[in-house]
Amino acid sequence: MVRHVIPSSYREALVHLRDGSFHIVAGGTDIMLKYRNAADLPPRFERDVLYVLNLDELKYIHVEEGVWRIGALTAYETLLDHPEIPDVFKSAWIDIGGPGLRHVATLAGNIANASPAADGIMPLYLYDAQVVLESCAGSRTLPIDAVITGPKQTAIGPQEMIREIIVPKHDFDVATWVKVGTRKADAISKVSFCGAIKVESGVIKDLRLTLGSVAPTVIRARDLEATVKGITLTALEARLDALLDAYAARIRPIDDQRSTKHYRQQVARNLIEDFLKQQIRKG
Amino acid sequence: MKDISRSVPKEDHEEKVSGRALYVSDIQMADMHYAKTVRADRPHARIRNIRLPELPEGYVVVDHHDIPGANHVNMIFEDWPVFADSVVRHVGEPIMLVCGKDKQIIQSICDEIVIEYEDLEPVFDLQESVVHKSFQKGDAAAAFARADQVVERVYETGYQEQAYIEPQGFVGYLEGEKKVTLIGSIQCPYYVKNAVIKTLACDPEDVRVIQAAVGGAFGGKEEFPSLIGCQLAVAVHKLKKPIKIIYEREEDMIVTTKRHPSKTTMQAALDSAGRVLAIKAHVALDAGAYIGLSGVVLSRAMLAVTSAYTIDHLDVKGDVYLTHTVPNGAFRGFGAPQMIFAIDMFMHHLAKHLGKDPYQFRKAHQAKQGDRTATSGIFRDPILMDAMVEKATSMSDYHRKQKDYASPDVYRGIGMSWFLHGCGFTGSGESDHIKAKVRLRKSDTDHVYVLVAAVDMGQGAKTTLKKVVVETLGVPYNQVTFDDPDTDAVPDSGPTVASRTAMIVGGLLAQAAQTLKETWKRGETQVVEKTYRQPEFVIWDEKTLRGDAYPAYSWGVNIVEVSVSPVTYEVKVEKIWSVYDVGKALDERIVLGQADGGIAQGVAYGYLEVMRHHGGHIQHKNMTDYIIPTAVDMAPTETVIFDNPYALGPYGAKGVGELSLVGGAPAVAMAIEQAIGRPIQKIPATPEMIMELMRDETH
Amino acid sequence: MKPIKFILNDQPVEAHTNPSRRLLDVLRGDYGLTGSKEGCGEGECGACSVLLDGYAVNSCILPLASVEGRHVTTIEGYAKTQRFAVVKAAMGDEGGSQCGICTPGFMIAIESLLKKNPKPSEQEIRTGLAGNLCRCTGYNMIVKAVQKAAKVGEGLW
Repeated sequence: MVRHVIPSSYREALVHLRDGSFHIVAGGTDIMLKYRNAADLPPRFERDVLYVLNLDELKYIHVEEGVWRIGALTAYETLLDHPEIPDVFKSAWIDIGGPGLRHVATLAGNIANASPAADGIMPLYLYDAQVVLESCAGSRTLPIDAVITGPKQTAIGPQEMIREIIVPKHDFDVATWVKVGTRKADAISKVSFCGAIKVESGVIKDLRLTLGSVAPTVIRARDLEATVKGITLTALEARLDALLDAYAARIRPIDDQRSTKHYRQQVARNLIEDFLKQQIRKG
Repeated sequence: MKDISRSVPKEDHEEKVSGRALYVSDIQMADMHYAKTVRADRPHARIRNIRLPELPEGYVVVDHHDIPGANHVNMIFEDWPVFADSVVRHVGEPIMLVCGKDKQIIQSICDEIVIEYEDLEPVFDLQESVVHKSFQKGDAAAAFARADQVVERVYETGYQEQAYIEPQGFVGYLEGEKKVTLIGSIQCPYYVKNAVIKTLACDPEDVRVIQAAVGGAFGGKEEFPSLIGCQLAVAVHKLKKPIKIIYEREEDMIVTTKRHPSKTTMQAALDSAGRVLAIKAHVALDAGAYIGLSGVVLSRAMLAVTSAYTIDHLDVKGDVYLTHTVPNGAFRGFGAPQMIFAIDMFMHHLAKHLGKDPYQFRKAHQAKQGDRTATSGIFRDPILMDAMVEKATSMSDYHRKQKDYASPDVYRGIGMSWFLHGCGFTGSGESDHIKAKVRLRKSDTDHVYVLVAAVDMGQGAKTTLKKVVVETLGVPYNQVTFDDPDTDAVPDSGPTVASRTAMIVGGLLAQAAQTLKETWKRGETQVVEKTYRQPEFVIWDEKTLRGDAYPAYSWGVNIVEVSVSPVTYEVKVEKIWSVYDVGKALDERIVLGQADGGIAQGVAYGYLEVMRHHGGHIQHKNMTDYIIPTAVDMAPTETVIFDNPYALGPYGAKGVGELSLVGGAPAVAMAIEQAIGRPIQKIPATPEMIMELMRDETH
Repeated sequence: MKPIKFILNDQPVEAHTNPSRRLLDVLRGDYGLTGSKEGCGEGECGACSVLLDGYAVNSCILPLASVEGRHVTTIEGYAKTQRFAVVKAAMGDEGGSQCGICTPGFMIAIESLLKKNPKPSEQEIRTGLAGNLCRCTGYNMIVKAVQKAAKVGEGLW
């Protein structure tokens, strides 16, 4: 018999996690589908369930020196309403489902679910966000790409839950988000893209690209980014095809009911090319 | 007299916005039991053995052994089993119902049932024709013989899913010992009743069918509910309890009928001046596992072969093929969308082939009053297409945009379709098969009841039909009642299909109301009935498909503007303009609502809605994967309604419901074609397909 | 098991049932509030929308446990408000309802949208309604109804 636990505090939640084996339900928008039963029957949960959505302690956005700290249970709609969150985050987040979903769905939930098609986590890779995991034994802070280790796989321990997400501030010249979904809203991504750049006197100080839905996890090729840091936009133009080919080798999309491998491969390449050419054109 | 088109409050608006309208899943009854369908999980197989768990008391399974009458669903062609007996022919084919009180126990029983199959070879290609039809006009062979050149193109269309937001369902119960009552989400109460009578082999008075509020239908609740109704009626007799069956979304999408995928081959004989002398056409429809209505869908597709053009010589053939896939059936447009896509694209492509301006080329072939129709009948009524096209092109600035978007680097396009839709059943269907009857009953308090089997499934039938009666009688709205049909109370005014409700049922109600008005006796109970009589001028030969296929035609022009991203190959529909001739709008707001909803479906059919099967398994089987437009996808619309009253329609009204869908796909496809500078011969024109076209990859 | 306590249409209630059940099933089955509909069962179509502390959520994927201590307003509760009356009239004038199965969900989505943004642009309206699917209207009449409601009901939100 599955136990259902609604902790009244975050501390209590951690104690339960220490003492048992739980599914954690935040907004529930993924997990309720994963364990979905026939209509009008309770979900087929396999373990005890810890319902944390109402732990208001974890609903916050702290703007601090150099970072934003986002409480794990802050709903996407709340994040969207915050005046200081950068547009690249907001443009990605507003592409998640519809408002009804975003009123309960959380960034932490998206991280824990570890879907390669999740739009919400893409800008986290772009900004090198860190995730604070906590258990009764203490807390640890991991970079986003160390938390998500594979499709539907994370480094989150059975006694841990996500406490907050730390997003470092950056002064990119440009930071963009492109979602290629099955339609213009309320859609799952076929391909998604984030690009950010910082240029000083024609020299690339920072360039970051992330791609979603085209590999088992979000792609951010730091080694390829490093090859263009410190070069000029003109030099980038000369190297563009080689860089695109290098990215193409990292893209390993699949055929599914939403799109084709071929399309994803081509569009991912186009998105990178389009972004970089726009930057080159701007000079 | 005031203008009938002026809108009145929608009859059911209040109950619908407030959530009070009762849909079938909302119906509560004491001692309610539930049913779940056990289905085949493979496309073609012989059932070797079924192992059932021990059933707790109060739980039953119901299968073909329990059917007292015929194990097929009564529809046009009777090949569709109520329950599979020894062979299953598509994934999801129903084998049995599990019924009982507790949904959890029903689910457990379903989980424990083991069915052993012997797989048989499935067929997915169009190779086995089971219905073949053909007709000729003029002498196509001679025209092809003297042609300057012959041009051939092939057009293909995919599945389309009705995607009504309310899945299918029924509640059934016994009244007394043997009378079964079914309350359902249905378009055609008498289709269900007649099907159940055959399955139960019972007297007509032992079956009663009541319409619940219907949460969208679009043809999907035309013939399919008869299948569920028959199954549930058998179960109700066996269990002798009220039973509710509600399909889940995925179940609904896997097993219910869809728009037929099609392949149409068009050949044109062109003379030296570049006029179309003759067309040879062949349309192939994939019926899925059973024929059902497919032969009639084929007819409507074939009859639309020249759409709003006049071509003097035609040789038209069509075939329905069986495959081991979900059976296809009725969907708003009923074969016409496939053919209108093919012919309108073909005319466009012929013009381009000839190096002519497509607009002028199409104009030169446009049908005019007095012309012979595709089936050699006559377009008797005035055709306003010149003015309608003029209106549509001017409000959309079509001609300027056509020029501006010709340049390859703007990735914008504008496309125009023009088309007709035959109103009502094909040929003599109304008089031979339907024989619609309507009734008005006046109580001794002078309250009038509209008694027809027409279903309001969102299209506003309650409002418009009641309005016809109210306005004809000249009484206040609150003196007339139109309840959802109950076959114990209403005569068979026919199914709610084929854009016939306003014109045929509305026409009969107008006559009945006129008679009631003329014979009105205050304070007395009165009943007036009217039965459909075919207009004398309509002469139709069903065997040769020759004559007047329809008593009247509605006409339309759609213009769609798109932009296409050269980076992602995604299409953005920028705006849609439409002009329609529906005779006379019985209620302007309702007609505009039909126009908006129809074009949304029609345009999405052309570029957005993808459904495929893999080895007979539907791949897009939920609302996450089967993509219908959201408010963000849908473009703003501008719609103009032309008055062109039809003498035999109520207040001049003709058909509305399907017209607004049938032209959407060619208009959007032509717009995409212009934006990408490559011909489109297949829909939906997905980003994946557009990519291959733009990159000139072989398809 | 402890009951789940919440405020349902302004009345405190205690639900003695499995807390993992979908809120939709509890509302429809246990409280007879059938105005919220199941269209897809996966949070895609919005027909099941209810207000949670004033904002729309999909009750078909929300476990009952998640509403502990919070306000749930269904279409039946919302229908008693002045704001509802304004939106209802605007939807009627503009032709926003057809078959009606999605309509209660749209009413909830519109309330949620206007509460957050009383003067939405057309694009904001479309985005605000993107979680609600309608197969009948093609949406434009609903968009116009929201514009009209925002204007007529100015000051109510």
